[in-house]
Amino acid sequence: MDERIREAFQQVRAGEALKQRTRAYLAQRTRGRPAAPAGRRRLAPVLACLLVMAVLGGGSWLYFVPTASIDIDVNPSLELRINRFDRVLSVEGYNDDGRELADSLDVTFWDYNDAVEAILESDTLSALLAGGEVLTITVAGSDQVQCGKILSDMESCTAGRQNARCYAAAADDVAAAHDLGLTYGKYRAYLALRALDPDVTPEEVRDMTMRELRDRILTLSPGGEAESGASGHHGWGGGYGHRWGAATP
Amino acid sequence: MRSEQEVDTAIERYADMVRRLCMVHLKNEADTEDIFQTVFLKYVLSSAAFESPEHEKAWFIRVTINACRDLLRSIFRRRTVSLDEVLETPAPADPDHREVLEAVLSLPGKYRDVVYLHYYEGYTAPQIGRLLGKNVNTVYTLLTRAKQLLRERLGGDGGNG
Repeated sequence: MDERIREAFQQVRAGEALKQRTRAYLAQRTRGRPAAPAGRRRLAPVLACLLVMAVLGGGSWLYFVPTASIDIDVNPSLELRINRFDRVLSVEGYNDDGRELADSLDVTFWDYNDAVEAILESDTLSALLAGGEVLTITVAGSDQVQCGKILSDMESCTAGRQNARCYAAAADDVAAAHDLGLTYGKYRAYLALRALDPDVTPEEVRDMTMRELRDRILTLSPGGEAESGASGHHGWGGGYGHRWGAATP
Repeated sequence: MRSEQEVDTAIERYADMVRRLCMVHLKNEADTEDIFQTVFLKYVLSSAAFESPEHEKAWFIRVTINACRDLLRSIFRRRTVSLDEVLETPAPADPDHREVLEAVLSLPGKYRDVVYLHYYEGYTAPQIGRLLGKNVNTVYTLLTRAKQLLRERLGGDGGNG
């Protein structure tokens, strides 16, 4: 069977017309742009080697110290720890679904954009999001410049997803969330829900989906009622709703 | 920006592979042409320095798969089409090739990348895991299940892969 598959794919080729149209398109798009000297690109591997040597030569702490985090909440709840070079150092699940998803991924040392894209496109999350579940991404960290850039990238990454929200958070607030065993997205929802239902516990919130949390908050809010369809960017009641990328109060 | 000669070389070297990845993901020729433009324009403008031909090939695979996924996310692009359209007319003349491609394309989307990368490009499960950002055990599971499904559709022993 291996050989049959290989031979069948071998029959599929790019036609000359397609190649020519691609060349014409590239010529049109790049007209007037000078080609970069090849030498500059040849230097890149050398510079990369020097960087590696510098890192191995005593600066490894620079690489392996997380400077930002990206929390992803749907119901799998995950946290990506990011270093100052925008690389993923670790992926941690914050509930059973999150741990299962984290175990199925191998994005360590990836650029965070590629990693988040791969996570959102994973079979688990793409199926949940297609089913109308709510996605919350929270960015936190000590470096405001880096966090601003990550938040902006996350907004671009989720642009077009009607049921996604992106937030920035202070590192202290994220630490408070982690003390309760929650990602920051769930923690915010927990605080909003607790204001309406003092009996709710972090353990209860941990395994609820963001959509369930949102619907419960809306139901308990004065005059609120849970929506049945996909949400827009409405508030969640009780002052919980925010615009895209709104900073943490 | 890369020179015209570099781009020509890349098109000759990778156009067939990009075309096959497009076939695995996309529905028609217009979408395939969009992907060709996106992928090779990214290459032209990219300043990435490749350590080896394998590194460059892996870059093309990842960029092509990501571009296909981005395109498919646009709900306006989603529509059902016949296999003839997927394969672009004329379809492969050999009935066996056609039957095999029909079987591969009828697999759920999550299996098709790994089938192509393993059976045609010869990547191992760990290599596919690194390319697609999936855990290697997940890739083994996908390959095993894909092999079962293909065996059901095509008969045979499932090969040694």
